[in-house]
Amino acid sequence: MKSELVCFWLAVALYGVSTFSYIFGLIARYDKLYLVGLLSALAGFLPHTASIGLRWAASGVEPFITISESITFGVFMAVLLFLVFQLTVKKVPPLGVLVMPTSFVLLGWAGTLIKEVATSLNPALQSAWLWVHIVGATTGFASVLIAAGLGLMYLMKEKDSAGIADRLPELSVLDTQSYRFVAGGFIMYGLMIVSGAYWSNTVKGNYWAWDPVEVWSLVSWLIYGIYLHLRVTFGWRGSKLAWYSLIALVVMIVSYWGIPFSLETFHSGFRIDHS
Amino acid sequence: MTRNERDEVELVAETESFPVEPRYHPIHRIPRMIYDFLASARLAMALLVAILVCCLAGVTVVRGAQAWLTIFSTLWFNALLVLLVVNVACCFFGRIWHRRITVISFGMILFHMSFVAMFLAIVYDSLFFFQGSLRLTEGETLQNSDPHSYDGYRQGRFFSFSRLKGETTLVKMIRGYRVGGEDKRAAYDVEVGEPGHKRREVIYITNNLDYKGVKYLPEKEGYSALIVLSDKTGKELYGAHVPLQSLKQKDNSYLYTTGTKEGAGSFPFPQDSPLYSLQVAYRPDPVKDRSGEVFFQVWPYREGEIPQQEQPAAAGKAPVGQHFSAGGHTLAAKEIRYWVGMNVRHDPGKPVILASLWVGLAGMIITTFGRMRKGRAGKG
Ligand code: HEM
Repeated sequence: MKSELVCFWLAVALYGVSTFSYIFGLIARYDKLYLVGLLSALAGFLPHTASIGLRWAASGVEPFITISESITFGVFMAVLLFLVFQLTVKKVPPLGVLVMPTSFVLLGWAGTLIKEVATSLNPALQSAWLWVHIVGATTGFASVLIAAGLGLMYLMKEKDSAGIADRLPELSVLDTQSYRFVAGGFIMYGLMIVSGAYWSNTVKGNYWAWDPVEVWSLVSWLIYGIYLHLRVTFGWRGSKLAWYSLIALVVMIVSYWGIPFSLETFHSGFRIDHS
Repeated sequence: MTRNERDEVELVAETESFPVEPRYHPIHRIPRMIYDFLASARLAMALLVAILVCCLAGVTVVRGAQAWLTIFSTLWFNALLVLLVVNVACCFFGRIWHRRITVISFGMILFHMSFVAMFLAIVYDSLFFFQGSLRLTEGETLQNSDPHSYDGYRQGRFFSFSRLKGETTLVKMIRGYRVGGEDKRAAYDVEVGEPGHKRREVIYITNNLDYKGVKYLPEKEGYSALIVLSDKTGKELYGAHVPLQSLKQKDNSYLYTTGTKEGAGSFPFPQDSPLYSLQVAYRPDPVKDRSGEVFFQVWPYREGEIPQQEQPAAAGKAPVGQHFSAGGHTLAAKEIRYWVGMNVRHDPGKPVILASLWVGLAGMIITTFGRMRKGRAGKG
């Protein structure tokens, strides 16, 4: 097997270990398992990064063109942001309970879709906008995933399910943190849409064509725009918004990799046939 | 004075003063009601949710071109968008009015203002835009302001063709064009403008030409064969450039032939007083550009399309530049050129739309920055 694939599946395996550590840690109320979860996430992140790097180096094509590459890159950002958040800013030990299973399942799914040969993007489409666009989309996803994770923590602390309460910061802190990640994700989605519009403008001469992928990105942006208004103009707080962030996450995953990719090919408007 | 107090005053007034004032002020009340309606935050939410639902429906239940027809291009959907803008204008700015300007509220104002500006520009653009596809063979020149120059076009209600100045010439199509090592595939060397003030530029996928607010973008290209009819003595009687369609074959190779996108077909030849129904196909030489073999099929002329299964009166092939004899005449593809289809666009609202996207993004970042600073100061 190619070393790229070895790294990839090693990462999936380690994220699997991390997933089970978090979930059993929660069920068994055994806190040390959270640490095991965090460390195995960290351990999996290294081969994950390596597999992206190896594929990129071998093909010379940006590592986010096909669906499996796109998911792999999105999960990469999510785990990266999760690790940075856990290791530096705020310690919320059980946070991985949502983040790691999601990452594990998505990455495993990406693995079943890997194509040996890298599909090259029409070289003509390459542009710095593409990077801004993808980084916007993936960090946006990473932020709202963590926001949803914090939302879940909020709901669990509120009920004190699995005796989790004293492992977690104050409810109000969780609430604010979750909101901040949504706000950050909202900006990143904004960046994704703006750079996409610019990119489309240089390539196709228009900024918006109600192409399915464009509409899906508008959907993500509106969903979090509504979240922000519920909070800022209607004063929603706490568990209602926590539920909202969890449901929105599902829509996010579907809107990114579920429907647009399976029914329509990636940005159908960007396929350029030169006869 | 609240509405209840006012009603009470009116009640009292009714019993005490003459002549009786009308109890109901439709003229005052209606604008007030309209304003209250437009400025309500609930309406904002309802609209955002409604648009969200339409978007979701437009990518799941109906999709693609169907979604465009049944949702995104309709009057009611666009009316929803316009209502949203009016609502932002009344609701947001009504609330932020007189409030002290802080970093947070400044960012919000910027954001919502850019949203309004963007929509105004979108509406303006939709009234004045032009989008057409211009097909040119190498060496050919077409007038930009003549609607007949375009294969097809769409325009805003108030667009006028006089806005499109000058003429467009395709100087040359360049295959395998490279810019700093990157393969841009096809590039068109074009010249646009009025005589004496022409601009010439090589355009390719990420580089388009802008002439007086009109953009020229590469779209598609193909071969065009100069078909010449000669008599027995070799005297040329008629010649015409015939654009060839590229048809993808089952083995993924391409066949270049007359006809339409749907399939190969014949055409009357010569065009003015036809002698034949002619079908031409071209197989490019893999090495040498603009050469290769040309296949001819000839039927005695009759109106309408010749069915593909009908045997031709004469059929054969000849390399580019060589003659093929068909009855009393000879036919030749004297040379192969390229034709290109260019996308010509005029979007007068676009600079504002694109700029307001950035302003909006900046607004969001400023608000967030303000919130973070406030949070750190321990007040948030
Ligand atoms: C009908 C349309 C809209 C109305 C009436 C409206 C109104 C408002 C109001 C009143 C605020 C809070 C200001 C305050 O009191 O502090 C606000 C904040 C905000 N709005 Fe809107 N808005 C509208 C559309 C949008 C849209 C379409 C978006 C983007 C999806 C958006 C994004 C935001 C953001 C990001 C904030 C700041 C939230 C924060 O503080 O983090 N707004 N809006």
